[in-house]
Amino acid sequence: MRNAFTIAGKEMRGFFVSPMGWVVMGLYALLFGYFFMAHLTYFVQQSMQSQMGGGPININQFMIRPLLQNVALINLFLLPMITMRAYAEEKRSGTIELLLTSPVSDLQIILGKFLGALGFYAALLAVTMVYVGILFAFGTPEWRPVVTGYLGLLLMGGCFLSVGLFISSTTKNQVVAGAATFVVFLLLWIISWLGQSAGPAMAAVLDYLSIVWHFEDFSKGVIDTKHVIYYLSFITFGLFLTMKSVDTERWRG
Amino acid sequence: MIEVQHLTKRYGPFTAVDDVSFRVEKGEILGFLGPNGAGKTTTMRVLTGYMPATEGSATVAGHDVFADPIAAKRSTGYLPETPPLYPDMTVREYLTFVGKLKLPASVGKAERTSRINAVMDKTHIADMANRHCSKLSKGYKQRVGLAQALIHDPEVLILDEPTAGLDPKQIIETRALIRSLAGSHTVVLSTHILPEVSQTCQRVVIINKGRVVAVDTPDNLTRQLKGSATLYVQVDAAGADAAPVLSGLDGVRRVVELDRHEQLVGFEVAADADRDVRRDVARLVVDRGWGLLEMRPLRLSLEDIFLQLTTDETGNNSAPIAEGPPIDAAHNDAAAAASGKDQPHA
Repeated sequence: MRNAFTIAGKEMRGFFVSPMGWVVMGLYALLFGYFFMAHLTYFVQQSMQSQMGGGPININQFMIRPLLQNVALINLFLLPMITMRAYAEEKRSGTIELLLTSPVSDLQIILGKFLGALGFYAALLAVTMVYVGILFAFGTPEWRPVVTGYLGLLLMGGCFLSVGLFISSTTKNQVVAGAATFVVFLLLWIISWLGQSAGPAMAAVLDYLSIVWHFEDFSKGVIDTKHVIYYLSFITFGLFLTMKSVDTERWRG
Repeated sequence: MIEVQHLTKRYGPFTAVDDVSFRVEKGEILGFLGPNGAGKTTTMRVLTGYMPATEGSATVAGHDVFADPIAAKRSTGYLPETPPLYPDMTVREYLTFVGKLKLPASVGKAERTSRINAVMDKTHIADMANRHCSKLSKGYKQRVGLAQALIHDPEVLILDEPTAGLDPKQIIETRALIRSLAGSHTVVLSTHILPEVSQTCQRVVIINKGRVVAVDTPDNLTRQLKGSATLYVQVDAAGADAAPVLSGLDGVRRVVELDRHEQLVGFEVAADADRDVRRDVARLVVDRGWGLLEMRPLRLSLEDIFLQLTTDETGNNSAPIAEGPPIDAAHNDAAAAASGKDQPHA
């Protein structure tokens, strides 16, 4: 595990010393800020209206939940940029030879790369907490659904990252890795749309496959083991594929 | 220390390494010599556990590289053809990262730092410790790569073209460094530069098209090829009959005119191996009234051996080397081979 953390540290460091990492972080904050502002304006309008007729509306339900659901959209565009270089860059520059000839197992390398990417993603989420903090400063939202929401985001991001890692491990070209990752993310997201025209049984299956669908309960403040298990098994599967891909590459030379 | 048996590596239908076997004793420096695409890098990658072999086995420091890769990697230092540096790290950061990966967990932070300092001194890169790897010259990159390979003080060092891209001074320094590592380390280095082998290595494995064509010491290889003693003789004011006259000498097997500048003519004079015909040649030239301007032995260098072995179409180890093509022919063949048969590097 020590080796995995060494590699994770190196990966994290790589994000923070490269312009790439800061650009991704800046864009992440920018997009989240836009959604925050849009939702906040809408929420203010709604609460004005509701004050005229009826009681006050819940900020968790009308503001924070849709806001966190929008993070999935940001992830779709920005997480491919985190994972696309993970393996592709090492292969292109030849540093993969260092990793593969060091006394480290493939699993440790992969875990290290995954944890590094997850760590950077957590840093991105930490930036968005500043915005959410503003709501806490001026209002009294319920904190528990916020915590479960962030937990859900972390797990959902983990799924994206494990798939991204796998795709990066199959190519030398960062751009190819990035583009392919984006398309796969998109498919994993919109797969549930097909369900609307299919029968109810099919819809349930397709919903279940969609990464984003599993996030809904988290955003509502519910931790359902069904979703946790889905996310964890998805991540494990992604890392398993990465491992097989690295191994295959090794045999093919 | 290193034992390779019947190693074969295929990439799809292409066989990069074909049934290669050799041994390296402890403390020895073995040179791995061959043209580009001969399978040197592939063999080294198998030895370092970067890729598995299709067939055969390899043992490094008593550990099978397939069955026990982690232990084998722990006792191996590897410098790939391109030094595996992270451009955004400084030299010290880079060596710290590699140290964390390669040193056992029992090595503490203080000891790791002292090892890094020691290895930076050894490879003369201490003055660049805080420079980013991307800003280093080729020579320094190569040396940081070497430092990286040495950091865990491995028993076995595998160096893929360690002097490629260095300037002459750096090459001399690097060779001296490699020589100083012998004894305490077992070194395998690959190169296509021949003098490097005769200067640094105790034993040479010549490999071509994935097959071992010769294994011996540089001296023995040179000796084997002295099938005939060949002289270069340059004479002045000789008549047109100079070549036949020289051929008429007892013991001279063959005379070939190599060059001619107006009155000056240069001959290659091949004699029987056990005869020294230099006195006879000199006497003859002087008796004839020609001017003897130059006479020197044309020695077969490792270069010639290498070319003879690697251009031999059969690529067969048992082919009698002494009966190979004459030197100049070998050169021509080799030039043709170099331009025509350049295989992609494996």
